[in-house]
Amino acid sequence: MLDGIKAFLDILSKPQISFTLIIFIFPFVIPPTMWFEKWHRKLGLHLLWTRKGGLYMFAFITIILLLGFFDENFGKILGKPDNVPIIILIYSVFFFLWLSMSSAYKNDERMARGEKVEEDYGPDEKVLVWPDLVYIEMIALILMTVFLLVWSIGLPAPLEEAANPSLSPNPAKAPWYFLGLQEMLVYFDPWLAGVIFPTLIIVGLMALPYVDDNPKASGYYSFANRRASIFIFLFGFLTLWVFLIVVGTFFRGPNWNFFGPFEEWSVAKVVPLTNVNLSEYVWVKMLRIGLPSHPLVREVVGIVIVVLYFGLPPVILARGKLRGLVERLGATRYALVIFLALSMMALPIKMYLRWTINLKYIIAIPESFFNI
Amino acid sequence: MADKKKTGLLASIGDSQIWKSIFRTGVPVTRRQRMMGVLNSVFLHLHPVRLPKHAVKLKYTWCMGGLSFFLFLVLTISGILLMFYYRPTVEYAYTDIMDLSEQVPLGIMREIHRWGAHAMVIAVWLHMFRVFMTGSYKPPREFNWAVGVIMLFLTLLLSFTGYLLPWDQLAIWAITVGANMARATPFLGHEGPGASLLAIGDINLVSMTSDIRFALLGGRFVGEGALLRFYVLHCVGLPFIIAILMAVHFWRVRKDGGISTPV
Amino acid sequence: MKRRKFITWLSVGWLAFAGATGGFFTMIIRFLFPNVLFEPPQSFKVGFPSDFQLNQVDERFKQSQAVWLVRTAEGMYALSTVCTHLGCTPNWLITDNKFKCPCHGSGFRKSGINFEGPAPRPLERYRIVLAEDGQVLVDKSVKFQYEKGQWDSPEAFLTT
Ligand code: HEM
Ligand code: FES
Repeated sequence: MLDGIKAFLDILSKPQISFTLIIFIFPFVIPPTMWFEKWHRKLGLHLLWTRKGGLYMFAFITIILLLGFFDENFGKILGKPDNVPIIILIYSVFFFLWLSMSSAYKNDERMARGEKVEEDYGPDEKVLVWPDLVYIEMIALILMTVFLLVWSIGLPAPLEEAANPSLSPNPAKAPWYFLGLQEMLVYFDPWLAGVIFPTLIIVGLMALPYVDDNPKASGYYSFANRRASIFIFLFGFLTLWVFLIVVGTFFRGPNWNFFGPFEEWSVAKVVPLTNVNLSEYVWVKMLRIGLPSHPLVREVVGIVIVVLYFGLPPVILARGKLRGLVERLGATRYALVIFLALSMMALPIKMYLRWTINLKYIIAIPESFFNI
Repeated sequence: MADKKKTGLLASIGDSQIWKSIFRTGVPVTRRQRMMGVLNSVFLHLHPVRLPKHAVKLKYTWCMGGLSFFLFLVLTISGILLMFYYRPTVEYAYTDIMDLSEQVPLGIMREIHRWGAHAMVIAVWLHMFRVFMTGSYKPPREFNWAVGVIMLFLTLLLSFTGYLLPWDQLAIWAITVGANMARATPFLGHEGPGASLLAIGDINLVSMTSDIRFALLGGRFVGEGALLRFYVLHCVGLPFIIAILMAVHFWRVRKDGGISTPV
Repeated sequence: MKRRKFITWLSVGWLAFAGATGGFFTMIIRFLFPNVLFEPPQSFKVGFPSDFQLNQVDERFKQSQAVWLVRTAEGMYALSTVCTHLGCTPNWLITDNKFKCPCHGSGFRKSGINFEGPAPRPLERYRIVLAEDGQVLVDKSVKFQYEKGQWDSPEAFLTT
């Protein structure tokens, strides 16, 4: 029975399956449009943000982790001192997600009833910083100090063998907060996964207040007023960041192969990683004439696809569904938003292309390190 | 009730010349004293004197910004202490770290620094998460959000530069992989797209010894030069920048009208 | 002062200011690149060709110099041990007859050609020649990249 569950979880956590599931389930949990909202209510998912829902989520995570701790293989990975922060991260992200969403839902209900939001005490209701705030701060600092001391006494900081430039550990992992990037490296070349995407994440985050022109819902928790922006932010934060970190930490083993949580990390596991470029698909497999020698001719199909990917949707959407957005934001800001959104979607797209047709590069010009 | 004049040890301390010379007001008992106490202290007047009621609620701010700042202070202090024992050279770095837990009584300073760093990364993320969920990045707080994003980036960089210092297997390979990404920076790294275009005749302007990765590592591979550069950035360069930005950040929280309030 | 003249002086002033600032920042950037590097010498002798077994990957210089030497029936070549993906050190797996990188799983054939995983290009080869005393000399300051067609140059392969 237990082994059955474990085997099932192993299969479930394969990126192909878990990522697909998450993408499908996500809009029902955090509904970005009224259509999803309808199903969200019908399926009872709004109950996740009640006290009971929170307890269930807590119990669910705890059971899986407990199952892991007592498992021979998963236990080894969970028990690593450097992985403790990830467990803390999982719990705290879920807790604060629950806290903010339940506050938001409560406020939404209040507003629907025509009442004031919970945070709104009126302009005259003020408290003194001393003592009301300084005491809270002091208690928070003391609790944090105690927490850190317990953590530090209980768990010695690890130190591995001395540096040896000729022997890479297997697997060699980046610090955990960069494992999302390292996971992207499986699908994209370093100049994209390591340089361009991080830059876009920073630029995109900084641009957020300048492109989110919805003036509503500032200064209190709320969902109904800004469902689309919360959906986009949480999709990036929870699935493309936190989830990829969890995958990178717990599910990537020797040779950067994927391992289910309860699988043994065996160096001998062989996974064929033979991937094929788009140009090879086109010239060799379809047209059967061999690769042209000039790189630009060879890659012409890929180049056209990439140009169309970034060029067509903005124009089509500007005429159609997103016309209102263009009018509100103006051309420049609209272009920025849609460029960032398309770049974000490029990651899942490339993942699926890799999983389905073993695609290595859409454009491959290794002569000048230009591979997409 | 609080306004009643007390006479006791506390009150006489509060009335003493030394206390008054430092804090100006006596023991903060009356409303006026409490307000003046906050106003007159260089540290406390980071805060306004009075706040809207929801702003002091844990449920609203999660105190995550405050905890990020507190963890930064913890890391600064424990980091300075660690510097007394650590020498950033390939010869000594690893053994110095090893000795830390053995040769010093109560040797958990390294643990505090390491786990504190992890905790700070998490706290800063959660702080950003709360600012997003309360919509507090909206005007007039756009700029402070941008400052925050840069500090988030710097927090990660601080953590990353510190990762190399123990000079163990984990350290050099994480940094090798990380630094090699810099090699792929378009135009600036010698294996980045476009770098080969920047050449005069046969001479590549962006080569292994003149690209951005070299500037980071101070060498062709992760060695002596890299250790020293990361050490200096970790202990002086990045904390210096982030401290300045924190000053801007806190100043702006107040200048943008204090903690965001429902509008 | 005439208006014209004033404007001229003003622009000279601004240009001088911009030039000085630019020069200063150039200096700061140049400061990051030292003239002398204290890193191990780039060329070294590895012994006589007959010291190497036929069709074997010789790992004796992996630790000290980060090269593999391979001798085939036609001659010898020196492969860099730096993975072209992100610079980890792959392992030579005799049974599978391939180099396998532990970091993200790139695989390279004995020739150095990449065939699996994320590595974008083959391993690099170094200059390899016979020294005057008949020993094999490897010079890491000159490298040859397959995708640029450089493996055909005479010094990328030592015919024996
Ligand atoms: C390096 C670490 C950081 C420190 C020490 C810090 C500290 C603080 C503190 C103490 C506050 C007061 C309110 C609170 O506690 O929530 C605050 C507010 C704020 N922070 Fe940060 N912060 C940091 C990073 C960030 C980041 C990463 C962002 C966003 C990307 C950000 C954006 C903001 C904004 C917009 C406010 C105003 C919120 C409001 O008015 O409700 N900060 N910060
Ligand atoms: S460094 Fe070798 S596969 Fe990434």
